Amino acid sequence: MRETWVVGAASNRFGKMSETAREAATRVSLAAIQSAGLSPKDIGYTFVSNAFGIAEHQAHVGPLINGGLGIPDVPSATIESACSSSSAGLHEAFVQVAGGFVDAVLVVGSEKLSHLDTLAATSYFAIAADYAFETQNGATFPGLYATIASAYRAAYPTTPEMFGAIAIKNHANGARNPHAHFQREITMETYLHSPIIASPFRLYDCCPFSDGAAAIVVAAKEFVKAPVSEPLVIRASARAGGITEMQDRPDLLALPATQTAGAKAFRQARLTPKEIDFAEVHDCFTLAEALALEDLGFVPRGTGARAAMDGLTVRDGKLPINPSGGLKAKGHPVSATGVSQVVEVYEQFNGLAQGREVPHSETALTHNVGATGGSCSVHIFSRR
Amino acid sequence: MPSETLPAASHSISEWVKSYEDGGPLRGFRCPHCGLITATWGLACPRCGTVGLEEHALSATGTVVAFTLLTVPGDEFLNDAPYVYAVVEMDGGGRITGWMPTVRTVDGVVIGERVRFRPSYRPGVQFIRESEAAPTISGA
Repeated sequence: MRETWVVGAASNRFGKMSETAREAATRVSLAAIQSAGLSPKDIGYTFVSNAFGIAEHQAHVGPLINGGLGIPDVPSATIESACSSSSAGLHEAFVQVAGGFVDAVLVVGSEKLSHLDTLAATSYFAIAADYAFETQNGATFPGLYATIASAYRAAYPTTPEMFGAIAIKNHANGARNPHAHFQREITMETYLHSPIIASPFRLYDCCPFSDGAAAIVVAAKEFVKAPVSEPLVIRASARAGGITEMQDRPDLLALPATQTAGAKAFRQARLTPKEIDFAEVHDCFTLAEALALEDLGFVPRGTGARAAMDGLTVRDGKLPINPSGGLKAKGHPVSATGVSQVVEVYEQFNGLAQGREVPHSETALTHNVGATGGSCSVHIFSRR
Repeated sequence: MPSETLPAASHSISEWVKSYEDGGPLRGFRCPHCGLITATWGLACPRCGTVGLEEHALSATGTVVAFTLLTVPGDEFLNDAPYVYAVVEMDGGGRITGWMPTVRTVDGVVIGERVRFRPSYRPGVQFIRESEAAPTISGA
């Protein structure tokens, strides 16, 4: 396998885009390519994710992006894995580059949902669940995670303030991230007084519906002779599946896909959770961050919910989690999320995360889940 | 290969839907190897991978193991919120999900609540609390 790097990265500001997902994807792609000191002609393959393109009457967006970049002859493919779509794209790029098939690959995710009302957006988000055995029985995306949360609260001593501390932490980080949808802090009072969306989740337990686009360039070390920025060495690129329907899992309180992908990634990187300096984890809901910490082996089972309140996961804690603000505050433009987690690592390693730096970070992990755990990607990066 | 010779499940998804629309019994599967009982359609056991699941009738009663009260629904439940979505452990095995149209407050149900499947012309599996179920009329 060839040593494989992330050599360029770019994101727009998440929130509400006036342009289409295709325009935003093309613009962040060119910015990512230029940040790598490359030109579009250096790209040998494009993996694009735009899971809800159908909401804009658009599929097959890869050739449109490549056309807009002046490289219509370059092959492309759309990678869909629900909320983990673009990290799945990164994994495919890694396979192509590490395997020696292509020298430089563009990975881009883009999503636009803001032209839909809450009802339509809620319905779109639910389509990654099992329609016949979950959605048709009344499930929504927040509802599925909230159902797990009810079992979590029954199994472990948990207070609303623990979940609140996760939301407050991620908003505090998002307030320092110019890419974030919500660039403002919240208080415990705001959290506790926000309306119930799906009990026990309040509004501030939930990530927002966001528009956004993010892109990275993955290239072989031997192809990039003189990198213009600090590259991220891909130490592990692991994916796993898990039973989609929580009712069929042996354990309601864990996402097996995270456990499997995490274990694979740590094996590949020959690292342990203790050796990770910070992580971007999939906090579509506050509980999801707690589960991720447990399933990745950062904290013991049943203690993930209290990690933010205990100060472990705040920016100057022992294990900073979601310095970008996470899905919770940075936003969750479904197909852009996985790549945007890598953009955060790139900015942290390149001194571009002013105001939210994790000091002296050498090694970082990204964790991206598809829906309620049918799919999961875990990547581990280090400096050269 | 002609489609009629391709591997088939004991019943189809549409037959599952018909089973609850017709008032039960709810049609499920049982793994002959590990014993998993599930409603979820498949040709093999999602737990142990054994190919070939047996037909298994699910019971009509069970216990809530996890739930949420939803105030923001999807489009098919637009006029039903708030309502409860629950994972129910059926008596005799198997966990299935369903919604509880008669529970409209967060404290209207608890984990451990006994519930009963209720037939309805509406899509989706419905449950009501056992305490709400109509008493069986006997005699007279």
